[in-house]
Amino acid sequence: MFKSKELNRLVTMALQYASLMAFGLFTMFPLLWAVSFGLSSDGSYAYLFPQSFVPHVSGGDGTYSIGTTLVWFERVFVEIPFSTYFKNSVIITTLAVVGTVVISVLAAYPLARMRFAGRNFIFVAIIATLMLPQETALVPNYITIVKLGNFADWLQLTLTGSDAATWKKLIGMNSYLGVVLPGIAGAFGIFLMKQAFEAVPQDLIDAARVDGATEMQILWRVMLPVTTPSIAALAIFTLVNQWNEYIWSSIVMRAKTMQPLAVGVFNDLTGPLSGSQNTLMAAIVLTVIPVLVFFAFTQRFFISGMDGAVK
Amino acid sequence: MKNSNFMAYFFLAPALILMGVFVFWPVGFNTYLAFNHYEIAGGAVEWNNFDNFRRIWEEDLFHQAVKNSLLFLLVVPFIQLLSLLIAKLVNNKMPGMTFFRAVYYIPVITAISIAGIVWQFVFKYDGMLNSFLSTIVHLFHIFPQDKVVDIDWLGDPDIAMYSIMIFTLWKGLGYYMVLYLAGLQAIPAEVEEAAILDGANAWERFWKITIPMVKPTILLCTMLSTIGALKVFLEVLVLTDGKAETYTALYYVYDQAFRNYDFGVAAAAGLVVTFFCMILAAIQFRFFGDK
Repeated sequence: MFKSKELNRLVTMALQYASLMAFGLFTMFPLLWAVSFGLSSDGSYAYLFPQSFVPHVSGGDGTYSIGTTLVWFERVFVEIPFSTYFKNSVIITTLAVVGTVVISVLAAYPLARMRFAGRNFIFVAIIATLMLPQETALVPNYITIVKLGNFADWLQLTLTGSDAATWKKLIGMNSYLGVVLPGIAGAFGIFLMKQAFEAVPQDLIDAARVDGATEMQILWRVMLPVTTPSIAALAIFTLVNQWNEYIWSSIVMRAKTMQPLAVGVFNDLTGPLSGSQNTLMAAIVLTVIPVLVFFAFTQRFFISGMDGAVK
Repeated sequence: MKNSNFMAYFFLAPALILMGVFVFWPVGFNTYLAFNHYEIAGGAVEWNNFDNFRRIWEEDLFHQAVKNSLLFLLVVPFIQLLSLLIAKLVNNKMPGMTFFRAVYYIPVITAISIAGIVWQFVFKYDGMLNSFLSTIVHLFHIFPQDKVVDIDWLGDPDIAMYSIMIFTLWKGLGYYMVLYLAGLQAIPAEVEEAAILDGANAWERFWKITIPMVKPTILLCTMLSTIGALKVFLEVLVLTDGKAETYTALYYVYDQAFRNYDFGVAAAAGLVVTFFCMILAAIQFRFFGDK
């Protein structure tokens, strides 16, 4: 028999796990539903409450049994240019991660470790941008990107005499750089790296200086190796955010062939393809899975990076 | 010193140039646009004083948008209390907590556009939520058997904003949970243990120890989610696209800019939103200045 104290503890624990499970179901159910929906042979069970969370296949004579089919997952690649969107997402995200890390590291180093005129002013100005609603920058940045494209066009015509308008495709509307450039220099990354650089012992830097290292060598050989965890956290953050980013990409990438997953899949599925619901759910699962897998492997860094950004 | 100055600016240059063009310049240009009529074709600009502001002031849609944005503040206490409770729950030293933290974080790392499509199907007239509620109702015989729940979650103007709030709750809980978790883990274990020895029950410990100790985090999160609620717009775009009277202030800005191509009006409305966010940020700084 249990003593009452022990029973009490067990009941508390059972209640805690029950609440944890309940919250878990609340956060997980859309994905579980989409998976089950996508694996079912048609949408007949899709909106019945408990049934729709178990994949069903049709027996062909009006009967259904529990089972799975991958046909809708195959249809995704036929009905929408999924691989193109995927490729765009990979390119855009890679550019954003590399750009953000390089620019944040470069900017954070002097702010953390060098004394120069205007340091405090520059730092405060950068941090102050955290309060700006980024949405109001959409219109000016849109105009800037259009003008950059036109400028590239003019430059190409002037310098090479060609009116092929190929330079425009590098930086104007419907360009990878146009999507990435406005976001890669930001207060968050600079702040995160500044905190990391400030925690490096001064002795390490002094020793390198005595050995005659230049600032660039100190940054590259001394600072970067010891701040790898912060760099990893920043890279992971940027990757997940850029992979999921929707609004700016949807403004710049008007051409279907240039859209990342979050834009292309959304446009296709809310538009002409909204009829085929199983394909739609399969496409959703295929869009979410890469970032989920990535998150599963990196969640330790991801969540501790988040803590670090707050403290 | 001269050399040090040069190197510092050399390192800072890429960040400063990019932020100058894409972060600082937009603030100025947006303000300028707010007082102008901007012709999208050719980029012709014409100064029109306060015409843009007068137009949004006179437009019912903008009034409704502001009202909805303010209504959306309702989500703040719910999201804060729930995420604090969840953080407290996963802060327990029991097996499987890493798993649950990850599960709660999944909505945060799902693209809003993709999550929005699934939730459209949840909220549909004959969708998952109504089916779920009908099952519950049948199960407990709350109503006669033939009565099923048929709520138009996204189509009924009286309900649609609340549906968007449920979505926001789902999407944001994990984010604030992690912030609270950081705050909770900073509480020394001895404090809690001493209270247990003194015979304080869980409820008393929550109010007398947890809440006061994580107060800075509560303030930070409340401010973040208040500003977030005022700026709500993507949620509207992906769920209702402004239908069922779900315009919010920033949705109005987006709509004016990228559907009507009326950049002047959009900029003026954006400036109004920025102004309110600045006021909130100033309050936030006051709170944290005391710390």
